[in-house]
This record gives sequence, C-alpha cells and structure tokens, in this order.
Amino acid sequence: MATISLQNYTLVITGAPYSSQAPQTALSFARAAIAAGHTVDRVFLYGEGVHLASSLSAPPSDEPHWADQWSRFLSENAISGVACIASALRRGLTNDSEQKRYELPANNIREPFIIAGLGEWVEGTMASSRVLYFHGGD
Amino acid sequence: MGTLIVIDQPPYGTWAGREALDMAFSLAAFDQPVALLFTGAGVNWLRKSQETTGIGQKSVEKNLSAALIFGVEALYADATACARYGLVPDNMVTGVAMAESSAEVMRQHSHTAFAG
Repeated sequence: MATISLQNYTLVITGAPYSSQAPQTALSFARAAIAAGHTVDRVFLYGEGVHLASSLSAPPSDEPHWADQWSRFLSENAISGVACIASALRRGLTNDSEQKRYELPANNIREPFIIAGLGEWVEGTMASSRVLYFHGGD
Repeated sequence: MGTLIVIDQPPYGTWAGREALDMAFSLAAFDQPVALLFTGAGVNWLRKSQETTGIGQKSVEKNLSAALIFGVEALYADATACARYGLVPDNMVTGVAMAESSAEVMRQHSHTAFAG
C-alpha cells in the first residue's frame, strides 16, 4: 500500500441535521480519518450547521441522534467543536453568557460545543493542512 | 494564493450569501488574503440599485461595497452567469472583474469555500 501523508483537518459543517446529510457525512469522514491516523483540529458549525449543537434536539429513540453522536465523538477524541456566534444567535442557539446579554429565557448549547466567532474558522484554515466543507446543498 | 469565497446563491431568500460575505470579511480582518467569486444566481448580488423595501430586508449592496475597503482583494463575476442574468457593466456595481473562466480563478487560490 502506498504511504499517505498524515493530515490535520478542520471540518466545517453548514448543513443542519435532519434537513441535510452534512452532519452524518462529516461524522463518517471524521471517524474514518482518525482511524487512519489523521487528526481533526476542530469542527466549525456555520449557517444551518449550528443546529447540530442544540442540547434540545430529541429525535425518536429508534432514529440516529446526530447531536448526541457528534458531541460524544468530540469528547472522546478531545476535538474542539465551535458554533459560529452570529449564525447561532440568529437561529436560536445560545450559551449562558449570550443568554444573559440578550436577556433570553434559556440557553441550549450542547457540551462540549462552544460558541465563538468566525476567527475560530480563520484560525482553522491557518492551522490545518486541509479544510473540508460539508454543505446542505441544493 | 489565498482563499476564494464563492457565492452561488441569490442575495435574498437564504442567508447563505450574507454568511459567505462574513467569512470573507473575517479573513480580511485577520489579514488573510481573500477574494470573492460570484457565480450562478449569485451574480445577482452585483446588480446596481437593488430595491429591497418590499421584502423588509437590507440591500446587500452596501455590505458588498465595503468589501474592497475592508481588504477583500478582488470581486470576480463569472462572465457566463452574468450573460445569463442580463448583467453588463452598466447595471453592475463598480469594482468587479469579469472572469471568463471560474475554474481558472479557483486555480489561482489555494483554498476555496462556499457558505452553503
């Protein structure tokens, strides 16, 4: 088998779970990459992709729970998961400090995801050898 | 070299294009080289005098005119898409470079991103 150079990936997910295949495809890719010895530097949720970080999604028990699967995967592999703050606040996804800032009745970010700015994506493009985008597509 | 952000969605109806523009501004804010390519229905971003009061949204024209000021290196428009949507220099915002080949523009950048 030919030797392949090991890569350090930043994954960007812009498609929402249940409306698109993006979170599932990205998770399959991330698992395969790590199994092959590559590393995943970070996962950045942008646009509709931020819905993956909701702690309030509760699909029927016989269906895959993408938010739960993703958060377990991130924790087990110590990968940082970041939801873009502007995308998140537009779509009703918030953390404790933003809840206070905007005087919202609740917060719903799922651990270990955090909310941060697009600078996290910029840093990913600089720190990683590859950046892959998983879109909802249409 | 640098990043090419591709906008292939029309300016209103989804937020994908606005969020793509934010990606470009963010790179520019961190002094990373970035350019924008408008293609497909995305070329409608470049139409002059957009009137948006009827849909209760802000025109994207103002955001776009800030791009070159904030350090976005170039605005490219796919020439075939412009022809398809009836866009000519007279009815387009200023500062746009026509690209006969989008593939060639992509080749000139090390990283290409779509917002969605």
